[in-house]
Amino acid sequence: MPRSGTWLLPAALLCAALGGPPSRAADLTPQRQVEGRLMCYCGCADLTVRLCTCGTADGIRGEITRRLATGETPDQVVAAFVAQYGEQIRSAPSTSGFDLVAWVTPFAVLVAAGSALLFTLRRWEARGARPAPSAAGQAAARQVDAAPLTEAEREVMRRVEREIKEGL
Amino acid sequence: MADFGTFCLLLALVASSWAIIASYNGWRVQSGELVLSGERAVYAAWALVLLGVLALEYCIHTDRFDLEYVASYSNRALPRMYKVAALWAGQSGSILFWLFILLSYSAIVVLLNRRKNRPLMPIVVTTLSVVSTFFLVLVNFMTRPFVRLSFTPVDGNGMNPQLQNPFMAIHPPCLYTGYVGLTIPFAFAVAALVTGQLGDTWFRTTRRFTILSWFVLGTGILLGGWWAYVELGWGGYWAWDPVENASLIPWLTATAFLHSVMIEERKKMLRVWNLSLVIMTFLLSILGTFITRSGVISSVHSFTKSEIGPVFAGFLGFCVVVAVGLLLYRLPDLKSEARLDSFVSRESTFLFNNLLLVGAAFAILWGTLFPILSEAVRGVKITVGAPFFNQVTVPIAFGLITLAGICPVIAWRRASARKLLEKIQIPFWALVGSAAALLIAGVRDPYAIVAFSLSVFVISTTVMEFYWGTRARQKVAGQAPAAAFLSLVDRNKRRYGGFTVHLGFMLIVVGVTGSMVFKQEATASLKRGQGFALGRYTMRFDAIVRQDDPNREFMGGRLAIFEGTRQVGTLTPGQNFYKAGQNPSTEVDIRSTLRDDLYLILTGFDPQEGVYTFKAYLNPLVNWIWIGGAVLIAGAWFAMLPDLRDRKRDVEARLREIEAHAA
Repeated sequence: MPRSGTWLLPAALLCAALGGPPSRAADLTPQRQVEGRLMCYCGCADLTVRLCTCGTADGIRGEITRRLATGETPDQVVAAFVAQYGEQIRSAPSTSGFDLVAWVTPFAVLVAAGSALLFTLRRWEARGARPAPSAAGQAAARQVDAAPLTEAEREVMRRVEREIKEGL
Repeated sequence: MADFGTFCLLLALVASSWAIIASYNGWRVQSGELVLSGERAVYAAWALVLLGVLALEYCIHTDRFDLEYVASYSNRALPRMYKVAALWAGQSGSILFWLFILLSYSAIVVLLNRRKNRPLMPIVVTTLSVVSTFFLVLVNFMTRPFVRLSFTPVDGNGMNPQLQNPFMAIHPPCLYTGYVGLTIPFAFAVAALVTGQLGDTWFRTTRRFTILSWFVLGTGILLGGWWAYVELGWGGYWAWDPVENASLIPWLTATAFLHSVMIEERKKMLRVWNLSLVIMTFLLSILGTFITRSGVISSVHSFTKSEIGPVFAGFLGFCVVVAVGLLLYRLPDLKSEARLDSFVSRESTFLFNNLLLVGAAFAILWGTLFPILSEAVRGVKITVGAPFFNQVTVPIAFGLITLAGICPVIAWRRASARKLLEKIQIPFWALVGSAAALLIAGVRDPYAIVAFSLSVFVISTTVMEFYWGTRARQKVAGQAPAAAFLSLVDRNKRRYGGFTVHLGFMLIVVGVTGSMVFKQEATASLKRGQGFALGRYTMRFDAIVRQDDPNREFMGGRLAIFEGTRQVGTLTPGQNFYKAGQNPSTEVDIRSTLRDDLYLILTGFDPQEGVYTFKAYLNPLVNWIWIGGAVLIAGAWFAMLPDLRDRKRDVEARLREIEAHAA
């Protein structure tokens, strides 16, 4: 792998942090979207309004339908529920203010740890100095060399046999 | 019998405390007799706690409702099986059960190591006994199972209806066995740090305990998912509930350890990291218990919350200080000259696998604890639910799946990038082909396309490893294909057991993706004779069903299920009304095939109008999750089977010990 490959992991994680996985919200109706963004406050299970099967969830679903029918956007409907029942009714932290810390931290930590790991691996690689394969590994390689194989087969089998002999 | 149980638990506390004093001092003054006395005290504590458990079971089975625990979690009509399970239905009983499992493990460890690992054993026994003593203090003074009421109720409150399910009877013991088993590698790691015997003995000795705990915890998590699926009645199996998360987090770090320890075995590096992983895993298992028991975070599992949270937090803090202190103290001895032949090597991929596994554990822990942080900083308690965890963990999971595909084909020490690309050529084209096939079939969901095609990639690389290995045996040893295959897997159970685990994991990924992305649902309020449709099924409400037994009354509706015009079966979803007076519980009914599950719930009924409301889910591929779980368990079992090489190594280690002793 070329050395420039070291930027790949942090870049991939950063993309994930910024964009996240592709949103499926587009596939859902506004009703379903809002149901997924609100928790049912029935107390019988920690489920979103979309999944909860209790009577309370039925009531909330009806309220969402009514609000959407009056022309409110999904964001407005969610905001109305938050104003009435508090932040706890959201099924996930919002993406502003202190709540943003919840979203960014896992990816920031992964990017930092990933960069540190890449740096460390490069340092270890620079030390190099390859130890000789074990006696069992060498014996396995000789056994494979003696078999009637093509060069490609020989390469794969030498690796497999050596790893088996060395117990890995 | 209650007094007998109380007495046994008090004596067990004395025995366990003696085990700490005798073992630690025996090690300090090098007294074999004291060490032996400490080990015998472990057996005594185990026997006494066993008697305590039997005493509580006896009280439950003989309806001793003058005991608070029995009155709270059992009743006369409770079936026998659930009376056994009532032991872990409430807090004090489940902590007693936890303690019993821990002491059973401890007694087995002492028994298995009575002639080996002698330098480590006194500190292993000390560590295990410190943990047991903590739990014994809890059951003797803080959450006592044998507390008497000031009166004797005629009948008990009965068990929570949601817990009256066969899976629920197995799920907690599995989780506990997994959680508690993680104490064993921790105890050996502490012993290695205290004694300075930092070689490979501690992890070689505990390898089987680690795999056993890992796979039992994994089985417990799967059974929990199965229970949620058939019992909770919302059509899913994983809700990212804090207690579910608490079981997944140590499982992820244990998975990281099982991979990275291979690097230490081979290259004698990452010693600090591996010890840290084992310590972290144990601490996370205690944190999981703390979350379950304290009620600090609201959870569907808060069957048993109480005031012991601060004590758990204190014990957790104590363990962190001791473990981190020991690690820092031994840091100079643990430093190894880490070297890497090549960046492109199995070692690197394992380290990235560790990064992602520990990263996933951190992300889930972070999301689980964030409500507490938010309350502390803003004074506002918020919810961190499924949308957060899905968004955060899915990219990490994709990274892990990709690594599971590359790892098996990349060589230890050094692999050339060109040869690696050659090796993954066929799996890569399988990936491209499956993505194209999905697009042609009309699948447009990017999650599904990525997850399915990556699964195909991993399954092809893994199957090819089996194929190439068999070919190698065939040609090198001149064996027939079947014999070559058997000899191949038999000669390295761990390697091929591990690959089987990867295959199981991929089947789970396929099942989770199918059931999450392509789930369909419909709701209908019906009178008898009316019907509704979902996917390829049509359902007709045929009859009202009522069943009565001493424990509960069942109310449900029978629906005929049609595929096209052909009737393929009947389903009877309903609700159970328990006579002990709790809320009704949903009883779903499922038509299960390899292709999908038709999942029916009775969400409400109006007996006067004769209108019944049903919710139906069509969950594609969900059965592959359970099949994948079974494959994963089979692979883990296979990896645990004894290897001739291990036996040889044990004998050699024993000989070395005898020689050292003689010298």
